[in-house]
Amino acid sequence: MNDSFENVGAENPFEPEVGSFQNVQSDQEGEVTKTGTTTVGLTTADGVVIATDMRASLGGRFVSNKDVQKVEQIHPTAALTLVGSVGGAQSFIETLRAEASLYETRRGEPMSIDALATLAGNFGRGGPFRAIHPILGGVDEDGSHVYSIDPAGGVVADDYTVTGSGMQVAYGTLEQYYEEGLSNEEAKKVAARAVQSAVERDTGSGNGVFLAEITDEGVEIQGHKDFDDVL
Amino acid sequence: MQGQHNQQAYDRGITIFSPDGRLYQVEYAREAVKRGTATIGVRTPDGVALVADRSVRSRLIEPESVEKLHEVDDHVGVASAGHVADARKLVDFARRRAQTEQLRYGQSIGVETLAKSITDNIQEHTQTGGARPFGVSLLIAGTEDGEPHLYEADPSGVATEWKAVAVGGDRDVIQGHLEDEYTEALGVDEGVGLALEALAEASDDPIDPASVDVAAIEAETDEYRPYDVEEVRTIVDDLEVETVDEEEDEE
Repeated sequence: MNDSFENVGAENPFEPEVGSFQNVQSDQEGEVTKTGTTTVGLTTADGVVIATDMRASLGGRFVSNKDVQKVEQIHPTAALTLVGSVGGAQSFIETLRAEASLYETRRGEPMSIDALATLAGNFGRGGPFRAIHPILGGVDEDGSHVYSIDPAGGVVADDYTVTGSGMQVAYGTLEQYYEEGLSNEEAKKVAARAVQSAVERDTGSGNGVFLAEITDEGVEIQGHKDFDDVL
Repeated sequence: MQGQHNQQAYDRGITIFSPDGRLYQVEYAREAVKRGTATIGVRTPDGVALVADRSVRSRLIEPESVEKLHEVDDHVGVASAGHVADARKLVDFARRRAQTEQLRYGQSIGVETLAKSITDNIQEHTQTGGARPFGVSLLIAGTEDGEPHLYEADPSGVATEWKAVAVGGDRDVIQGHLEDEYTEALGVDEGVGLALEALAEASDDPIDPASVDVAAIEAETDEYRPYDVEEVRTIVDDLEVETVDEEEDEE
């Protein structure tokens, strides 16, 4: 409910409804846990496939965790990757998940992926600077969608996209192996291969791969310490 | 004496129930709606028609300045019966709410979502201290991906979806006509015709196309479109109702 009935209808469209963002000072930028990271999102004939590495690091120089899940379901048929500041990404995911759930409960149908991407962009731009660069992937009535949400709230749709410190290496692999109309099974191999390339050469990425498979039925996420399990 | 004193107490505070569970101020707001001229909405497979009687009390008033139909967004219109000033306030709320949806999610607002936002706002004015309920009922009409919808919002803050509905003066007569004559297979212009027939039934005077306001939201375009007087006259001429003819009208 709004503070006063003078104000109704004027709620801020760039802020979450469920509580406003905390204004966190981020002057210790270099010291916070970062995901380093390589995350890959592909649209496929069946839906969307997302692959992420499993390393958390301090400034890309020290491995602070070797078993991190960097892709989370945020919507019945959509997932978001954690890239950049772990705290920023976690609060971002929790907020989006709550907003998507509120929307669906109120209206009896889930948010479209385009609406979810617009909302994510608004939150990226509207709140405190989060130092994150996630990929949003999802399936709705209009088909398969992959978006890159940049740290300033830019929202860019693509057929396939990569974010994180291993981006160049992973893109190199995707340019060779991605094609339109892959099945999810084929795309999982292509995405894992892209992450594997980055894991070999990017110090911020490593320790295995998480794969998220999205269809109109839902989201399935599985981790693999060994790339051979999926290639 | 004691009894009368008590009754006045819950008569005045909007947030106070009477012992038999009634909110008198909200009921009085409904009376205010009945004092307004009639407004009718008819939903058809091809779109929704809104018809408002804006009969003016003086020939010196410019009829166009009497606002009963309002475009809220490209695909939604609102018609009101009751206090025009209260309606304007709600229409502005609805317009801002529609644009907020566009900014927040990058999509056009659904008719049900908008109707419920409006009624939530109306409800706040039945429970907030110092507020007065809105003395107006709205018909919220629009399309959503080619699907027509028509909602009524009443002063208590209830949203009801209708196939055809009337609010305002002579509601019972007009609604009775709609109940008898409505069929699912109307075109939009036939929907307008049905509403005008219903209006004619409630009125002793012939229908003057210049004193009814007509608009439709068509499913094919998802767009709100006001009708001009000539279009209304063409529809009226096809009806078996008495009309004010052109010469008389132009005097």
